[in-house]
Amino acid sequence: MKPVGWQAWLLTETPGGRAQARAGRWYRNLRRFARNPLAMSGLFVVLALIAVALAAPLLAPARAVVLQALPDRLLPPSLAHPFGTDELGRDLYARVVFGARITLSIVAMVALIVLPIGLGIGLPAGYFGGWIDLVLMRLTDIFLAFPRLILALAFAAALGPGIRNAVIAIALTAWPPYARLARAETLSLRAREFVLAAELQGASAWRILRTQILPLCLPSVIIRLTLDMAGIILTAAGLGFLGLGAQPPSPEWGAMVASGRDVLLDQWWVATIPGLAIFVVSLGFNLLGDGLREIFDPRAA
Amino acid sequence: MHPRRLLLAALALLLPVAAHAATPANTLVVAKQIDDIITLDPAEAYELSDEEVITNVYDRLIRYEAEDLTKMVGGVAQSWVVSPDGKTFTFTLRPGQKFHDGSPLTAEDAAFSLQRVVILNKTPAFLITQLGWTPENVGTLIQAVDAHTLRFTTPVRFAPSLVLNLMSSVVGSVVEKKLAMAHQAGGDLGNAWLKSHDAASGPFVLISWKPKESVTMQANPAYRLGPPGVGRIVIRNIVESASQRLLLEKGDVDIARNLTPDQIAAVAKRKGIRIEEFPGSDTWYVGLNQKDPRLANPLVRQAMRYLIDAQGMTGSFLKGSFKVHETFLPDGFLGALDDDPNHLDVAKAKALLAQAGFPNGFELRLDTPNTTPYTDIAQSVQQTMGLAGIKVAIVPADLKQVLTLYRARQHQMVLVNWGPDYLDPHTNADTFAYNPDNSDKAAEKPLAWRNDWAILQLSQETLAAAQEPDTAKRVAMYHDLQKKVLEEGPFMILFQPTFQIAEQARVHGFIAGITSDLTYYRKVTK
Repeated sequence: MKPVGWQAWLLTETPGGRAQARAGRWYRNLRRFARNPLAMSGLFVVLALIAVALAAPLLAPARAVVLQALPDRLLPPSLAHPFGTDELGRDLYARVVFGARITLSIVAMVALIVLPIGLGIGLPAGYFGGWIDLVLMRLTDIFLAFPRLILALAFAAALGPGIRNAVIAIALTAWPPYARLARAETLSLRAREFVLAAELQGASAWRILRTQILPLCLPSVIIRLTLDMAGIILTAAGLGFLGLGAQPPSPEWGAMVASGRDVLLDQWWVATIPGLAIFVVSLGFNLLGDGLREIFDPRAA
Repeated sequence: MHPRRLLLAALALLLPVAAHAATPANTLVVAKQIDDIITLDPAEAYELSDEEVITNVYDRLIRYEAEDLTKMVGGVAQSWVVSPDGKTFTFTLRPGQKFHDGSPLTAEDAAFSLQRVVILNKTPAFLITQLGWTPENVGTLIQAVDAHTLRFTTPVRFAPSLVLNLMSSVVGSVVEKKLAMAHQAGGDLGNAWLKSHDAASGPFVLISWKPKESVTMQANPAYRLGPPGVGRIVIRNIVESASQRLLLEKGDVDIARNLTPDQIAAVAKRKGIRIEEFPGSDTWYVGLNQKDPRLANPLVRQAMRYLIDAQGMTGSFLKGSFKVHETFLPDGFLGALDDDPNHLDVAKAKALLAQAGFPNGFELRLDTPNTTPYTDIAQSVQQTMGLAGIKVAIVPADLKQVLTLYRARQHQMVLVNWGPDYLDPHTNADTFAYNPDNSDKAAEKPLAWRNDWAILQLSQETLAAAQEPDTAKRVAMYHDLQKKVLEEGPFMILFQPTFQIAEQARVHGFIAGITSDLTYYRKVTK
């Protein structure tokens, strides 16, 4: 079947301008992505997480998140409590729904911190080389030398419990791979002709990094970040499980799993349902990241 | 050996184990969290599991026996006489007692054991150094008059019942002098060796202590009250309570000691498993730092007492494992007052807060250890305080961090528990109602100090109660002290625990009293 209309315009082999070529490339990528059912299900999970987080007050009453009803503790799932109740009689459905906000905000905040730090260290290291590279990369090595979860635990324990401190702890341990990645990309790009051309035209290092190198580094860094999201969620849940993450009574999923641990054998839902939420969301981010990599990774293309 | 044969031999060893899930007939296997054990030397031990093992391995000068937990009787000592001035105690030891290695137990060993505690000056030493004993004077003040007579004099005069109760605590354990000195290293009176070895005369012989793994004890057939009911006790360190439950249900252990109320309710339904309850002696309370001007306001403290639903908690998630108890002496102690006047009353609390100038409440921080049931109790307190506008922010942290903050008086509210050191009311009065020096550099830092409660007058009354020789008068004095702390103190005392254990139905005779010193394995049969 020969494409017609706007499809033909997007898929033409001879685009009429830069805008058309760019739109066409995006469209092809999108079609490749849409043909991958696993990637689509990942995207669906992530979109669902965002939707649940945004619409939480519509899906469940905010009051129910912390409202204790001691006579109604540890009730199995029912119509009144679709996911049952926890050890203090709180509605698990409302807690899981509002927990999505905490998870999403942790993920978003970590991403917002990690990207600038990783790029800010990786790009100059790769571009300038020499002692700048040496200093920045040894610094990165120091952070990489510790197991990630252990380092996050140490930071969280030192900073004190709380979501903000958990985010800082996770971000501090998550940035080194991004610095490495950005540096490697920069190394391979800085000797290319278009960079040399920009240099010859008198562009400053800052301008070259920003306009020539950064845009080409970003896709691989973003894919890496998407793949890392699962790890970030698990680390955050791990901190919550150990009591170093969100403070009670906030409905952080990891802390909810921890509180259900003692009653796992008889009241399985208390730990299992938030556990499932963690599992599904981590899997979703992983699948989405895999799908994105297949599109953007030149080796797979 | 050929590898394949080795494999077959290994399999042959494994098979019988797999076939019999039940524990050996003459061995009692106990699942318990015992990672708190630091040492098994009675002059150094101060953790709950330390004391539980030591009380079963070492005999003590004075004891409370499993046959009647409320009656103070002679242990190593048969009888004693107190001088009229209340300062000199003379003990006559039972004749014919022997240590586990067969050597005779003499007054020389008993005197050495007490001197050793004072000279080593480890954690539990304060129990008897408060009597005025120092490393310099114990040589003359504690003496073996002859092989069967021990005499000591205390520079400070305390009630005889208090002194005798101290002799029934862990420091009253009698250590074999010859054996301890044979293993002395660098003048430590055998301390390093005794951490994990036995120089004792009690009902069980310590076979091994593997840190964070297990303690194994073997029956002493020559024990003065007759041989124990089972030949061997193995206490396994199982930290997760869910694992303890599974081991019990599979028959791999005979007794599970640390199940939660929900787990107890679940295993109680199973055939072949029985639940037993023993009273605990800890005091669970919320400390209110008087450095905070709001908490120093008596009206505010009174209002807050009406904002805790202690009955609701003991009726639900604490059911069976705690009871409401609001005075500082736990039930089971001499002079304990059973008076629990407070209950959830939001209207009353709101009126009191308005009277105090806080009609809209205020914000408070509550520090608490990050484990259950602390976090559950904290969240219940958070909710009920919120009903009157007091917004509580819970800060859960590792127990050690919470205690560090607390000891530095940097908390606002703190949820913790206190365990008595010995079986005498003075042990709790000494900390809840005693604070002679409230300065930051005070030498003693009792709980009253930690909450910045300056009480010179009350401290005098506490000392007077400790020295009162007449027991009936002493009881009245402790009743009075408890009422004052309940009404004016910086503590919201909430609960006294009840220990629930689950055991195989064929196991009988395990007895536990209100402190870990009163845990008895010798009467167990199966």
